[in-house]
Amino acid sequence: MEALSLRDDMSDKSAIAGQNTLQLIAFSIGEQTYGVEITTVREIRAWNGATPLPNTREFVRGVINLRGTIVPIFDLRARFGDGQTSPTKNHVVVVMSVGDKWVGILVDAVSDILTVNRDEIHNVPEGNSIDTELLNGIVTHDSRMVGLIDLHAVVSGAKMDG
Amino acid sequence: MSDLDDFKATYFDECSELLTELEEQFAAIEEGERGSDRLNAVFRAIHSIKGGAGAFGFSALVGFAHAYETLLDYVRDGRVELTDDVVHLCIRANDIVADHVNAAQTGEALPADYGAEEKTRFDAIARGETASDAGGEEAEADGEVIEDFDIEFTPVMVDLEAPKANGEAPVEDVFDAAPMTAAEGQWEIRFTPHRALYARANDPLLLFRELAALGEMQVRAVLGEVPPLSDFEPFAVYCAWEITLVAPDLGEDAIREVFEFVEGDCDIIIAQAGAVPGLAAAAAEPAADNTDAPASDEPDLSSLLALTEEEVAQPSEPVAPLASFAPEPAAPAVGAQDSFEEAPGLSFAALAEEIAPAPAAKAPKADTPPAATAAAKPVAAPAPAAGGDSEDNGSRSVGVQSIRVDLDKVDRVVNMVGELVITQSMLTQQMDETLRARYTELVRGLEVLAQTTRGLQDSVMAIRAQPVKSVFSRMPRLVRELASKTSKKIKLETIGENTEIDKTVIEQLSDPLTHMIRNSADHGIESPEKRLAAGKPETGTIRLSAEQAGGNILIVVEDDGAGINRERVLGLARDKGIVAPDFTPTDEQIDQLIFAPGFSTAEAVSDISGRGVGMDVVLSNIKKIGGSVHVRSWTGKGCRMTLRLPLTLAVLDVMLVKVGGGPYVVPLSSIVETMQCSRASFERVPSGGRVLQVRGEYVQVIDLAQRFDLTSQQNPDDQFVVLCEAEGNQKVALVVDDIIGQQQVVIKSLEENFESVEGIAGGTILGDGNVALIVDVQGLRTTHLRQNAA
Repeated sequence: MEALSLRDDMSDKSAIAGQNTLQLIAFSIGEQTYGVEITTVREIRAWNGATPLPNTREFVRGVINLRGTIVPIFDLRARFGDGQTSPTKNHVVVVMSVGDKWVGILVDAVSDILTVNRDEIHNVPEGNSIDTELLNGIVTHDSRMVGLIDLHAVVSGAKMDG
Repeated sequence: MSDLDDFKATYFDECSELLTELEEQFAAIEEGERGSDRLNAVFRAIHSIKGGAGAFGFSALVGFAHAYETLLDYVRDGRVELTDDVVHLCIRANDIVADHVNAAQTGEALPADYGAEEKTRFDAIARGETASDAGGEEAEADGEVIEDFDIEFTPVMVDLEAPKANGEAPVEDVFDAAPMTAAEGQWEIRFTPHRALYARANDPLLLFRELAALGEMQVRAVLGEVPPLSDFEPFAVYCAWEITLVAPDLGEDAIREVFEFVEGDCDIIIAQAGAVPGLAAAAAEPAADNTDAPASDEPDLSSLLALTEEEVAQPSEPVAPLASFAPEPAAPAVGAQDSFEEAPGLSFAALAEEIAPAPAAKAPKADTPPAATAAAKPVAAPAPAAGGDSEDNGSRSVGVQSIRVDLDKVDRVVNMVGELVITQSMLTQQMDETLRARYTELVRGLEVLAQTTRGLQDSVMAIRAQPVKSVFSRMPRLVRELASKTSKKIKLETIGENTEIDKTVIEQLSDPLTHMIRNSADHGIESPEKRLAAGKPETGTIRLSAEQAGGNILIVVEDDGAGINRERVLGLARDKGIVAPDFTPTDEQIDQLIFAPGFSTAEAVSDISGRGVGMDVVLSNIKKIGGSVHVRSWTGKGCRMTLRLPLTLAVLDVMLVKVGGGPYVVPLSSIVETMQCSRASFERVPSGGRVLQVRGEYVQVIDLAQRFDLTSQQNPDDQFVVLCEAEGNQKVALVVDDIIGQQQVVIKSLEENFESVEGIAGGTILGDGNVALIVDVQGLRTTHLRQNAA
């Protein structure tokens, strides 16, 4: 019974936290910081190469073997149109779940876990369609901008003609 | 109501098993084995299907199954002779039941009168043979009952008046309360079911309903024997019923007949009102036992039940009749639990338990108690020897012999074992000679690991293996329908239906087999007249067999028809441009032409086959799962088609090649040959494509490096060509940098986490943990043609 009530406590707390705040995994591409909701992140692993997939756009870096399942890797820098990352062992793949699929995002480094207030999420300024398409919103942390990645948008349009 | 959906899914699973069983039993019955055990198995299967259908409210299915069941019952106790006609009607009925089940599952509506003709014939046979009026009457009574399923059971119950007494009251009171003012033709019935009654899937409610059809009826539950909760034995039967039936023109025989099916499994006392000393005495006895029961400290079940009854009875008068039924679900639930132990399908007992408390709480939902009682039935029905003295043939042993496991779970195990195999082989590869010499213990450990892993893999694959029976059993129906559509006489023989193949292969087998059998029935077997003229037996035979040969399964479809008409096949192939006019193929090559896309020899496009799709579908489906098809024909004698299938789809034999520095794999099943050649030997065709001459035949060249946008790292004069065979015997030459070797791999889906990629059939994980992509030969060829055409 004790375990049960403990769990109730915890779920209560997370429910309260979930109402007002959002926890993010922050990672960097070049000088810029981006974030995704922590609940979508499954695993963070070092870059260890990927098997290239033919007939896909340049931001699809290929596929890796994640404990027996094949997971595609998206190069976030390339997705933003800044050319392909030249990955080293220090680059990081953040494995996340998007819908019922698991995907990996290649980033330069994972920096922090941030807790931000939901009220503080700003809209992405209208202007370039790439920004509004790929970002859900913007938050400020330590007076720096953190872009919230829209994962669905990032992984879509991977095919050559798509 | 997602729980209910789960139960429904289980019900449909069970239905498909039961339908398979029906096919099997009737195959034997048709052969002349007409023992009672066969009939009982058939009866049980239909009964189970009907029971579940009732629980879920599939009224059309219930209606048909009920009529069918009645006929089977008459056959079972010898009132109707099992002639060939009856057998054929039954087989037809099985098909209709299958259609009803299918309709219920997919939610599509069948015509309202679907199966009505057969239903009428059931009644006719039942009535015609029984001769007695009672039989006819009963059939009609059944008919009414069936309709009640449709309207949620309530109408019958409205006939029943609320008893004044509840279960807790002494039984004498019950009798006082009952209208003793003897009306004309008033019957008092005391019905005490035994445990065996529930174990055999009988349901008191159905009996009462039948009684209710005979006249005005009141039912009182006798709960006097319900012990205190501490002594309550879940599998025991404590509940009996007293029924007052007012039916002026009714004889005792007619009442007895209602209980005919449960004779021996219950005590029945039937007496005319006013002359019931025996009944009163019988009733008084358990009441005496009961007097000190409520004194116990434990909560008393009967008082609990009584309580709920009162709650139900109080709110409004119209609801009150339900009170008499409220305790009833408890008893069937007990019955269900009883058989639950033995029954392989454990779902419905749980359902019954879940629903059973409902009527007390939600009285207005009048259909719930029947649902519970009906739900209790399917479990009991397949339970073979629940009663101990069941007439079952005893070939199936008591106790849980199998469990139902979600296929996803098994797949996960298969996947992980696949990984284990790969890891194990990777470890073994790491051991070089120096390491071997230094760490002998480690080496021994690795050897044991290798053995265990292999054993584990075999066992896991065996879990997912299924007998081909599940596909074969659909074929008799197909052949019957084909025979009647083509007015031919065709007999289907099946051999080796217990051969086991991986479930994933079986799933891919149904379509090709259907096409092959259609082909045999439509094109192979001749009309009876032609057969007789050719000196063959009037009835053609299609033989379907399965056997294991090494790492393959051979599925053979053989017919004793006319064989392939090679002249016509070749003529047609030339007309359609499949074969070049100046090319003279061998007999064997002509036979294989029937698999060419768009090829069909049927003179008239029938609705069975002849649309030009079919055999090429067979080939492509079989190729897709790494198998091959071979056809052999003997003019005038018959035709044999052999499918060679891998035992499992989990492991694929591949050739590992190198393209642009990376590894790719090509399924071995599509490779014809490999050769080394220079790029200079490729000839150019006007479209810009290249062709390669292989032994006089020009073959399209697909350069994988170029196709996959990679840079070939190989000297252009030192290329390798993998000659592959795509759909319809069309060959393509894949240009690769290097050939690494052959190996077995586990196929992994790309779509699971990504999407399909042109030219790639999937992925696999190599010994070093890296992903290699599987080349989709057919897909490459199709896009190649499209691109060249554009």
